Amino acid sequence: MNHHPAAWGRPLPASASFDMYNPQFSAPKAAPAHQMPVAHTQQPLVTGTSVLGIKFDGGVMLAADNLASYGSLARFKDIERLHPLGPHTVIAAAGDMSDFQWLKKELNAILREEQALSLTDSHPSLSPSNIYDFLANLFYARRSKMNPVWNAVLVGGWDRVKAETFLGYVDLLGTTYSAPTLATGFGAHIAQPLLREAFEAKAGTDGKGPLMTQQEATAVLDDCMKVLFYRDARSMNKYQIATVTKDGVVISDSKSSETQWGFAEDLRGYGAQTQ
Amino acid sequence: MALYAEHPASAHDAHAAGPTQHAFNPYSDNGGTILAIAGKDFSVIAGDTRQSEGYSIQTRYARKVWQLTDNAVLATNGFAADGKNFVKRVKQRLEWYQHAHHKQMPLRAIARMIQTMLYGRRFFPYYVYNILGGIEEDGSGAVYSFDPVGSYEREACRAAGAAQSLVQPFLDNQVSVGILLHFSSHRHPSICSFVPSASLRKHTIVTNDRQFPPRHDNSTRYLGVFAMEALSLALTPQIYFKNQVPEPGAAPFIPGNLPLSTVLGLVVDSFTSATERHIEVGDGLEVFVVMNKGRTTDDLLGEGQLAEGMEIEELGALGDGGERTFLVKRALKRD
Amino acid sequence: MSSIGTGYDLSVSTYSPDGRLFQVEYANKAVEAAGVAVGLRCTDGIILGVERLLHSKLLVKGANRRIQSVDEHIGMATAGLLADGKHLGSRARDEAANFRETYNAPVTVQVLSDRISGYVQAYTCYGSVRPFGISTLVAGADKTGPRLFCIEPSGVFYGYRACAVGKGRALARTELEKVLAKEGGVSVREGVMEVARMLSGLASYLAPLAISLSRSTAVESVKNDVLAIHLVHDDNQDKAFELEMTWVCEESGMKHAAVPADLLAEAEEKAKAALEEGMEED
Repeated sequence: MNHHPAAWGRPLPASASFDMYNPQFSAPKAAPAHQMPVAHTQQPLVTGTSVLGIKFDGGVMLAADNLASYGSLARFKDIERLHPLGPHTVIAAAGDMSDFQWLKKELNAILREEQALSLTDSHPSLSPSNIYDFLANLFYARRSKMNPVWNAVLVGGWDRVKAETFLGYVDLLGTTYSAPTLATGFGAHIAQPLLREAFEAKAGTDGKGPLMTQQEATAVLDDCMKVLFYRDARSMNKYQIATVTKDGVVISDSKSSETQWGFAEDLRGYGAQTQ
Repeated sequence: MALYAEHPASAHDAHAAGPTQHAFNPYSDNGGTILAIAGKDFSVIAGDTRQSEGYSIQTRYARKVWQLTDNAVLATNGFAADGKNFVKRVKQRLEWYQHAHHKQMPLRAIARMIQTMLYGRRFFPYYVYNILGGIEEDGSGAVYSFDPVGSYEREACRAAGAAQSLVQPFLDNQVSVGILLHFSSHRHPSICSFVPSASLRKHTIVTNDRQFPPRHDNSTRYLGVFAMEALSLALTPQIYFKNQVPEPGAAPFIPGNLPLSTVLGLVVDSFTSATERHIEVGDGLEVFVVMNKGRTTDDLLGEGQLAEGMEIEELGALGDGGERTFLVKRALKRD
Repeated sequence: MSSIGTGYDLSVSTYSPDGRLFQVEYANKAVEAAGVAVGLRCTDGIILGVERLLHSKLLVKGANRRIQSVDEHIGMATAGLLADGKHLGSRARDEAANFRETYNAPVTVQVLSDRISGYVQAYTCYGSVRPFGISTLVAGADKTGPRLFCIEPSGVFYGYRACAVGKGRALARTELEKVLAKEGGVSVREGVMEVARMLSGLASYLAPLAISLSRSTAVESVKNDVLAIHLVHDDNQDKAFELEMTWVCEESGMKHAAVPADLLAEAEEKAKAALEEGMEED
């Protein structure tokens, strides 16, 4: 048997069925590392599902549940997918969680160096849009190397200089866009319409009306996270909400929605029906 | 033999299998449409502001038309991330040029530079359709269109993107005023409901326009639903006069010579109509108008020149060329 | 130095017959000519202070700072060639970041000082380079508490409870000894008492200072530090200088940060007042 990692999970070659004890004729040795193609992320492994973002009067909110799935297995159930960066920025990540961990480490190191340098070279600290532009450039550069950072990331923040909120999206292709409400993945189909409806109800389609309050924003995010839990098989009824205002970042404790599954008993193939 | 021939090119055998095939697809299509039309001494470059992926609208406002210099505006369409980064590179090259030569790069040079930059990525292309519009050194309005790998030509007009196949034939064609009037009197109410005043106004402009000889549609042609809708709104001659024959003794048609008000009407009608017929087009319209130095602005800024619901601003000069660039904005339907 | 030159001072890779590296000793001269830098370790935090000599009235206020941040919890002050200090600071930040990358933990002040000293020492081994013309005070608070180290141009480094480098360091050290003499090996609770006594002593030595004893020890130490710097500053030269001070303590969230401007101003004012009063007595 070939136990080299390159052969894991692969069907045995025809030769192996003849003589699996003789490596000379069965699984050939894996090529030395320097001859192998450079290993890039081909697919996400441990993944987080959709994340949501919405602007409200004086701030911005992001929401993400605490689940990291391994395929359809609910593998890790206390993962934080919201991450603060400095005093006025939060990112929320969907997609590959190991890439996200790497990203957090990288960004933390950059912010730490910026912080250290700010003592001697007094320059303004990184604004949310600075961090967003950095991420967009990073993601686009990596996709252009065919080695993507397999995430869709929302950046929410408060720009101290402009005194305004920031909300942006960037993903593994380097695609970027901004909007007053954002949702990734399945949430783009399920939650985004609800978020837009709630946002436009007050602000109007041109966004020039009054924005929703913090309470209203929390309510619509709670509602969206519940609907996503009902509809998204990769979601979990345990989530957090990050709020950024001029006063800084607050990431809530994990919370759950009230759900009602009584109707499931009546579904054919689910309940106790025999017919 | 089939047993062996059927072998999956086993990654088991690294040497036989060759490099691993990457499943990752680095491209996406973000919809939207762009359009540019050249006039005698102006150029109009437009794009909608919707960015989408599949059936999802990612955002209702993402810019895809960019002012490069005082006399050049670039519209990008296709994969938004490539578009954004391509424009960034073009702007960087233009800045370097200005530092080196103390002047802005001429339009035809920008066009050639864009072709070089696109072809430089021939084997990992920017998935972007570019349309460059502006004023040439001789003062004429110009439009250059590109394919993703750099093939380019100067044209009188060009549409690209999701609704290219709807808009381009409309621009290519030319229909007689008589037929236009016929359509206009039988307009479907729902079609004209969102630009009624614009249609009527343009009608007057066109019928009063003595620059162009009256034209007749000499053939019985099939008009697609899109073209019929657009025409009923436009009430104007189009640009390339394809399949048209001038009246005996009349001057030949010259593409790229329409008055600005007519061009603006065509642009608006192209986009409102494309919005009706294509799910990836809508939300907002941005029209850049570049004018040669010294040209009158009355036909843009004059009273009643812009239909209701349109906003206009002048973009500040980047150099001292004297050309002027205006940005006209208008809402498009959001559904 | 008695035996200047004689051919043995051209390269740092050549010893003199009596086993000295003249280039390293000259580097120390560069340090001795520089404005003083002071580090003071307290029970609940640590302080760095420098006197930044202003060679021109045209300089922007607060520019060319000599205290740098190395990591969240560590700062360093240099005395000597400013550019050498900037370079070493950059290297120190790389070392601190490298430690985090490798061990996912903040670097301790000792380990960081060790790494910096190794770097400095390497510049005493090759004929193609010159030694660093700086002495560096590395101050921070890590899992072992507040720590202070001084790295000299030779690469040697020692840990200190308090240290001063640069011109006037001798007088500064005497002052620091006075501050620390009554404090040796005390708990925080005892330390508060000790420092209170120490402050009163210093105050009585200089002038009747009304220093509130209710403040934290780190805050009080800032004032003492200011006093020390103002004391050792050679006023006869009539050179303008700016005071620069950072700390790592509870009040700064155990992060290396500038001492709040209002506190610094207050301390500076009191120090100047005390100094003037002292001069009147003379």
